[in-house]
Amino acid sequence: MHFSLKDRGSYTVLRIEGELDANTAPDLRPTLDKLVLGGGRTVTVDLSGLRLIDSSGVGALVSLYKRMRARGGSVRVEGICDQPLAIFRLLRLDAVFCAGLN
Amino acid sequence: MSAFGEAFNNIAIHGYGCAATGQVEIDIEPSPDRLTLIVRDTGKSFDPEAVPMPNLEGLPESGMGLYIIRSFMDVVEYRPGSEGRPNVLTLVKLLDASPEARELQTSQASAPRNPKRQ
Repeated sequence: MHFSLKDRGSYTVLRIEGELDANTAPDLRPTLDKLVLGGGRTVTVDLSGLRLIDSSGVGALVSLYKRMRARGGSVRVEGICDQPLAIFRLLRLDAVFCAGLN
Repeated sequence: MSAFGEAFNNIAIHGYGCAATGQVEIDIEPSPDRLTLIVRDTGKSFDPEAVPMPNLEGLPESGMGLYIIRSFMDVVEYRPGSEGRPNVLTLVKLLDASPEARELQTSQASAPRNPKRQ
């Protein structure tokens, strides 16, 4: 799993590639914590390069979403496709998160 | 793939309590109309019927694994182990997409075998 953070002024883009699962989700936590501490911003999570997600990966993203909202910020997901999109649809997270579905 | 990953994680985390090592035996049985995965472990067993459905509207951060398994697989059977015998999880994915065939095959797949039937 690779990820990158880019500040675009009014919003931040978090791009996650590869596989976000029980093994790799913990590597993302410190970055997610920092985003939350940054306060009420908009975070766009670019998942166009994400090949696989499991319930641990979902948990990390949902946690980010809830914590950002609690601080007046927002999280949306873009570019989700394939297996991650199937999981999001099953868990009805596409309605919660998604600005741009493929 | 999703279902197997969740099952494996559950065994590692809940069955073996995140121990450093644990044994998991995986058998994959392809056939023309279905794919069967049999996963055996000697960790702690559980009662799948006692696991609550996740409340999706509440945006859960955990407890979704079994729901994912049951949603993607057509047959999910769990037999807890006893002395000397492992827990056995059987996952079946039917390969015929039509709803009628799926319903017929699902009831056949999980019906108890009748030794008297020819």
